[in-house]
Amino acid sequence: MTHLEELLAVAPSRISEAMTIAELDALDAEFVGRSSAIAAARRSLGEIADGAERGLAGKSINQIATQISALLDARRSDLLGAQESRRLSEDAVDVTLPGRRIPRGTHHLVQSTMDEIVDIFVGLGYTVATGPEAETEYYNFTALNIPRTHPSRLESDTLYLDYGGKKDEVLLRTHTSPMQARYMEKHDPPTFVVVPGRVFRSDAVDATHSPVFTQLEGLAVDTNITLADLKGTLASFAQQFFGTDTKVKFIPHYFPFTEPSAEMHAYTNGRWIELLGCGMVNPAVFENVGYDPAVYTGFAFGMGMERMAMVRHGITDLRTLLASDRRVLEQYR
Amino acid sequence: MKLTRSWLDDFVSIPSQDPNDLVEAFESMGHEIEDWHVIEPAFTGVVVGRVLEVAAHPNADKVRIATVDVGIEILEIICGAWNFEAGAIVPVAVPGAILGEDFEITRRVIRGITSHGMICSEVELGLGDEADGIMVLNGDYPHAVSAIGKDFASVVGLPDTYYEINVTPNRPDCLSVYGLARDLSALYQIPLRDHHIDVEESGAPNDVAVTIDVPELCGRFAGRRVRDITVGPSPHWIRWRLTQAGIRPISNVVDASNYAMVEFGYPTHAFDVDRLGTNIVVRLAAEDEHIVTLDERERSLTPSDLVVTDGITPVAIGGVMGGAATEVHLGTSDVFIEAAHWDPATILVSSQRLGLGSEASKRFERGADPSFCALAADRVAQLLALTAGGKAAPNPVDEDPAAIAPWTISYPLSETSRILGIAIDSATTTDLLTRMSFGVEGIDPLSVTVPTRRPDIEKPIDLVEEIARLHGFDSIPATVPSGPGGGLPYEEKRIRTIREVMVGAGFYQTMTFSFIGAHDLDRLSLPDSHPARSAIPVVNPLNETEGVMRTTLIPGLLKAADSALGRTSNEVRLFEVGKVFLDGPNAIPDQPERLGFILAGDPESRWHSEASEFTVFDGTGTWEVVADALNVHDGSLRQSSLPMFHPGRCAQILMGEDVVGTVGELHPEVASAFGLAGRVVIGEVELSKLVAERGPWTYVPPSVFPPVVFDMAFIVDKAVAAQAVVDVARTAATDLLESVTVFDVFEGGSIDVARKSIALRFWLRAPDRTLSEAETGPVLRNIAQAVETHLGGELRGAV
Repeated sequence: MTHLEELLAVAPSRISEAMTIAELDALDAEFVGRSSAIAAARRSLGEIADGAERGLAGKSINQIATQISALLDARRSDLLGAQESRRLSEDAVDVTLPGRRIPRGTHHLVQSTMDEIVDIFVGLGYTVATGPEAETEYYNFTALNIPRTHPSRLESDTLYLDYGGKKDEVLLRTHTSPMQARYMEKHDPPTFVVVPGRVFRSDAVDATHSPVFTQLEGLAVDTNITLADLKGTLASFAQQFFGTDTKVKFIPHYFPFTEPSAEMHAYTNGRWIELLGCGMVNPAVFENVGYDPAVYTGFAFGMGMERMAMVRHGITDLRTLLASDRRVLEQYR
Repeated sequence: MKLTRSWLDDFVSIPSQDPNDLVEAFESMGHEIEDWHVIEPAFTGVVVGRVLEVAAHPNADKVRIATVDVGIEILEIICGAWNFEAGAIVPVAVPGAILGEDFEITRRVIRGITSHGMICSEVELGLGDEADGIMVLNGDYPHAVSAIGKDFASVVGLPDTYYEINVTPNRPDCLSVYGLARDLSALYQIPLRDHHIDVEESGAPNDVAVTIDVPELCGRFAGRRVRDITVGPSPHWIRWRLTQAGIRPISNVVDASNYAMVEFGYPTHAFDVDRLGTNIVVRLAAEDEHIVTLDERERSLTPSDLVVTDGITPVAIGGVMGGAATEVHLGTSDVFIEAAHWDPATILVSSQRLGLGSEASKRFERGADPSFCALAADRVAQLLALTAGGKAAPNPVDEDPAAIAPWTISYPLSETSRILGIAIDSATTTDLLTRMSFGVEGIDPLSVTVPTRRPDIEKPIDLVEEIARLHGFDSIPATVPSGPGGGLPYEEKRIRTIREVMVGAGFYQTMTFSFIGAHDLDRLSLPDSHPARSAIPVVNPLNETEGVMRTTLIPGLLKAADSALGRTSNEVRLFEVGKVFLDGPNAIPDQPERLGFILAGDPESRWHSEASEFTVFDGTGTWEVVADALNVHDGSLRQSSLPMFHPGRCAQILMGEDVVGTVGELHPEVASAFGLAGRVVIGEVELSKLVAERGPWTYVPPSVFPPVVFDMAFIVDKAVAAQAVVDVARTAATDLLESVTVFDVFEGGSIDVARKSIALRFWLRAPDRTLSEAETGPVLRNIAQAVETHLGGELRGAV
């Protein structure tokens, strides 16, 4: 066995014993480096005179060098792989820790309820308008056919503002209905609009009252709108908001600005609950805003957003919705 | 309106005995049921008995032995009451009877003699307050005579059902048992019993005369003179029905008036004729006139009050309250019953001004039916004959200088289908309206005569409502029309985006009241001249802390933060989108919509970052994220010193040259005035400009050529705003500037204590070529030159 063959015999075990890249580098130098036996053998090839013999010897050297290099490369690859595995293993973290993020807040339940209901009516082809919360007594009452002597105008019901030197002309709107009149004054039929917004009453806060609450008003006026359309539209709303199997019934009622008027009740959570007031727009209102009541008919409705939210989410005390308690707000997802 | 089923039974024979059916019937007619329950007798085993004999107890002198016929047997019962003799018809609790929850009647021996039951009082039977003596039924319940041995409960009409009905304001006719019975008769198509009242007249003709000076306000005045009455308690059935109707029994005279009011909806008033005299004049009160009303209070009258006078001085405020001077008292024997028709609006104004709303004024305010005047007076006279021994005098009063007559409406049938969406033919319509006792003639249009009890029916649309009610809302189909679309207006979409951004930035939306207290503005330490000081007062606030309209969202947010802090978290992040109310020259206040937000408390520690405090930069960052979301390009901040804010940590928010908001840390004194400690970050932004419609943005193709990126650090005075350095640098750079950002600010070290280092990163790029050093070199020099010239900045280094 030649010197080089001996080298080839010991190389596998020595290489496999190298545990670090540095050890392997040393073996690399020893086996195939400049001062290795293989390099020396290559250099001494010139001393072989016979061309064929020299060719054979060179081939033999190269075979051995290639085999050793392959062993070195394989071992290097193993060592690097193990090193990377070790590094990654040391890099492990507890991924169950909370993620890195900006915490998310919530919309107020009344807001999200309102957005959802607005979207239902947008889906039915309505547009959306908003109006002033501090309103004139004309738009809040007179334009809506509410007589001068109606008790709802009293200070026991309505909050008035000391504005423009007068104390009985500007008030905090008691419903979103004034926007019916404002909107119709500015837009010709067909009129399909919903008006979400804040309303005010002279009521102290308790489980069912608040001086400030939120309504959504709806109005549909065209040449052929009937009570049947009112029923169908509001039933569709109730089913979209409370569930497709929600039953509704309409009970006659009275409002000065609609006639006939009704209250819609819905059967939800095992009982009938009064949901909203509605009716066919009173011709007197059309006259006040310049629509011809002989040509146009329409329906209107108004609903309390707090009530909708409370009914749907099982909230029994209105004051819950006034709280800034995080435990409440966090539920409004 | 509270009443019992048995009272309705006086006028209609309702086909169903199930109280639920009646609830539904009322509701289908538009009479919302506020409350209802079955009135069960508070006893069992009580029968009607006839006292055959009353004898002394041999061993006791406070009780007697009554021999009572209870039908199947004769019982000896020991009784402590003395208000009866032989012949009395009485309720007898026989052995085994149970009174109240669990009081069982047994035979028991009293002083050596066995008592076989108990003769009962009202209180013992849960039928009233009268505890002096047992119930004697002879006078109160004459039919009891023929019910000996039968169940006593049925004698007093038990079980019964109680209903509380929310009568809508347009139906004054249904503020009465008779009116509701009429609606039921129309619904069930059953006859309504006649309400004709027979008054037996005797004695001298009435000589009380009535003069009406104001026929336009008092169109009818009916009156009945009743003599020889004895004032005392009413019979049980009157007291019981009034109690169920929510009216306290007082005396037979007052009760008769109230009974007739509940029954027929028409209020009456009784005067003591000995005190009244015989000359009634109805007029408006004079200025400075006074009257002492029944509640013993002296009232100042005004010329808008209607008064009944004795010819000289007021003896009653018409339709509102009687006067003390002519009040019926225990010794009264001669009364005059007034049943007058008063102008609704006048009554409303008087009762409200005087704070004297009552069951009577409520009916007059809504419109009592003038055709009931004489009937109501007759009913009271009839009741007084029955309950007080009264004798109605001939020659009753009935002045009707401005009587209201029924009116006629022409009704084209097309109105039905136009409004309701279903056609109802002439015959059916006629039938429906006739059931409500309307007069109907013709085929189409119908000529409909409206009775005076229905002031709400003036126009065809009022008849549509009546037809819908009687035909039933359920019979109308349901269709869903589609609107022309339009959807959310642009501004609303932008506001939704703002809310969504705020929620994503960790804020909780709050909705605080629109009013604040005037002292909240004091607590903000705003100078008197500050525009937010001009808050519009609420005329009739619910309380002091809600006395003015908010001119800023900040107090509401501070109060919300204060109430939320420490409950479940030491960190508060709240925002609100809402209107403020500003004084102005227009018909209504300016009501701009604003975004307000607050960061207070200690930011919650998280495992990956150390807790620090909220600072103004959390506020400016919030504005920036909102501005980014809305693609606002012209937004900027201007360092400012503003009231209520920390003088060195506050900025105005600008869009272009317009100030649209404020952001900063609250002044510590202001924060502490609202109960908050530490740094409190507040922002308030006006939304109108932020959400205003802008056209779509236009695509700019990005350059494909490489950028040149370099950093420059300048040493400037501490007072120089970073924004100023950026602005100067931006102007000095050419069109080649793609972006510039502040990436480091450094103070201390080798830098002069009065100065700071600001490091900027510039990206230069050309759209059409790779930039050469020959192009970028001058840009760098320009920037350095400009910062030095304009801001005294010294170039610290450039890379």
